[in-house]
Amino acid sequence: MLRTLFTSLLLLSLLQAGHELQAQGPPPYTRSLESYTVPDVVLVNQEGAKVRLKTMIESGQPIVLDFIFGTCTTICPVLSAGFANLQAKLPPDARIHLVSISIDPENDTPKVMREYLKRYRAKAGWDFFTGKREDIDKVMYAFNAYIPNKMSHYPLTLIRDPKTGKWIRLFGLMSSSEFLAECKRAGIL
Amino acid sequence: MKARHLAVALLGLGFLLSAATPKEVKTVAGMPAQQALALGERMYRQGLLPSGEPMASVVSGDIPVPGTSFSCGSCHLRAGLGSWEGGVVTLATNGARLAQPRYWKFPNLTPAEREELKLQNPPARPAYTDEALAHVLRTGMDPAGRTLHPIMPCYDLNDRDMAILIHYLRNLSARLSPGVDGETLRFATVITEGVSRQDQEAMLVPLNNYVARHNQFSKGFGNRMYLAVGGNEMTGSYRKLALSVWRLSGAPETWERQLEAHLKKEPVFALLGGLSNGAWAPIHRFCEKEKLPCLFPITDLPVVSDTDWYTLYFSKGYYQEGQAAARFVNGMEDLPSTPQVLQILQEGPEARELAAGFRETWQELGRPAAALQERVLTSAELADAEGLRRRLAQEKVGIVLLWVDARSFPALASFGEDRRMFLSSRLLGPQTTAVPEAVRAFTWITYPYRDPLEEPAYSKYADTLLAGMKERYPERRISTRVYSLIQVLRQGLMDMDRHFYRDNLLDRIGMQRDQALPDYLRLSFGPGQRYASKGCFIMQLSPGANPRLLRRSEWVIH
Repeated sequence: MLRTLFTSLLLLSLLQAGHELQAQGPPPYTRSLESYTVPDVVLVNQEGAKVRLKTMIESGQPIVLDFIFGTCTTICPVLSAGFANLQAKLPPDARIHLVSISIDPENDTPKVMREYLKRYRAKAGWDFFTGKREDIDKVMYAFNAYIPNKMSHYPLTLIRDPKTGKWIRLFGLMSSSEFLAECKRAGIL
Repeated sequence: MKARHLAVALLGLGFLLSAATPKEVKTVAGMPAQQALALGERMYRQGLLPSGEPMASVVSGDIPVPGTSFSCGSCHLRAGLGSWEGGVVTLATNGARLAQPRYWKFPNLTPAEREELKLQNPPARPAYTDEALAHVLRTGMDPAGRTLHPIMPCYDLNDRDMAILIHYLRNLSARLSPGVDGETLRFATVITEGVSRQDQEAMLVPLNNYVARHNQFSKGFGNRMYLAVGGNEMTGSYRKLALSVWRLSGAPETWERQLEAHLKKEPVFALLGGLSNGAWAPIHRFCEKEKLPCLFPITDLPVVSDTDWYTLYFSKGYYQEGQAAARFVNGMEDLPSTPQVLQILQEGPEARELAAGFRETWQELGRPAAALQERVLTSAELADAEGLRRRLAQEKVGIVLLWVDARSFPALASFGEDRRMFLSSRLLGPQTTAVPEAVRAFTWITYPYRDPLEEPAYSKYADTLLAGMKERYPERRISTRVYSLIQVLRQGLMDMDRHFYRDNLLDRIGMQRDQALPDYLRLSFGPGQRYASKGCFIMQLSPGANPRLLRRSEWVIH
């Protein structure tokens, strides 16, 4: 009886240690320079149009990419608010293409994605993509962003400079000014 | 002695969260309290101010966000118990929790329980006063002086609007829902008149077996089991389960009154499963009205809604098959630019839902309504094979969705290979593999379940709950669906913890990971998602005397 209790309490204290770490505030975001091979898959955008991802990404336009889903509770709303705010601050001649890729292709139909973008007052130049689960998995693997369970996903933003083809990997949540500074540092603004 | 005392206190009986009841007030911000509650609810759930304008806030230090992008409820969820997603803990913000200090260790214990355990550690924050709540909502700083995660928006609210929101938070999940006490969590299942004895048995045997197994544990052991699984968040959350059967009779229009009488006599926390030979809509509407969760009724005629909250279905049923057909046809590569489509449907709600699913999706895909025709066949027309054959031969449309049962088979030979024909496996039932060989090459079949070749490995698990059942009816997929319901419920009860609020059960299920269970290839969840299986295969039959179903599509078709 007591042994079981002590085992439980030991487990509790370990769990609580994790809890306290969570409560100490977020770590600052991290930045790294990466090379990725974009898989040749066809995704579907919010208008229901089929788009070849590799062609789109390598079209010469600067890309800012994240992984979200329509009913996400915490991370995606903040990532998307960041995208909306970036769009609002971009100069009129900026050609940056914002790309959000669904990690919940079961639920994220073009209709769901259209409504999502509308909620964030997205302008032209921000597209939301869904697709076959196998293809979405390929994309997540390619960007070292695979998660088996959508509720465990993490905040990740990727910036591609078309001149070099390299990706800036930003892991964590950023403020608006940090996001803008990263876009400038990546040479796309 | 001390350890024993701790053990008794931790694992003992009677852990009811002493939810602090909010003060009864008559007016808030110069308006009746009920009106303020409704306006506060709109702020919390939709991010709209009492004026109708979006609430203004800033997240991550300097990102302005209108309330219409996301609201309090997006992260703290409908019941206010918070969430854990993407490595970020969103704390509870319901009335009961705000009114108590929050502790790092054993945060679920009541002050009396802490006293009994002689826990000395100081709180992470004291109980919130209204002033402290206003301060944290505006600045992100809690009454202990700690700054919240920058993901928590700082809201720009005037005093009146702030008072309304605080009034709502004080009342949000402030009292435990009906259907639970310190010992028992009560459920019911609804069975309407006319459901066969076999179907009833297929649902009730596994449900009752689950309840009996759950109740084998003593409360002390149940809590200890939960404790080991969920840590301190689970302390005192074990309850015995009770399941009542509510039988409805007569016309569906009278069911609401009957359900009201049942609920009054036996207040339950939620409905589990349920069987009806007709549409589920009357029971669905009752659950919406009473704010009563209904988990996975065994129906293929659900209410299809983007906004209703209280009934969680396995799928959109027949409607979803029609949707899948529309998306599959839309994606066919050699379609003419404006394909002509004909839906032929038999009488009854099943074919109506198939046709509605196709029609609405077809239009959503941007296809012109004018190119879609529909004909309804009476039972007599369907039974007249020769008449139907002549009629089908006259139809010159290229794509025909034949939402009829196997009575149509003798007439199908009138179709030539220049046609594309679609049938529903759910409507055909066991006759699906009897589609005439002459038309199989240009006939596609909607199939809303896992590939039959792969299914046995999943369905066999459902047998573990069928002890005592003499005859089994796997083709009805009732016991297997109940098995899936129980898996989702078990996890939901553990995640709900001791926070027995009806909305919280739905919130917790919404946070579950995808599951591979019997029947459907995948059940997936998410806040507000109410149809767990989103997929459907399109199949064709192989040639020969014993045809097999061959997959011709992905599970989810965009």
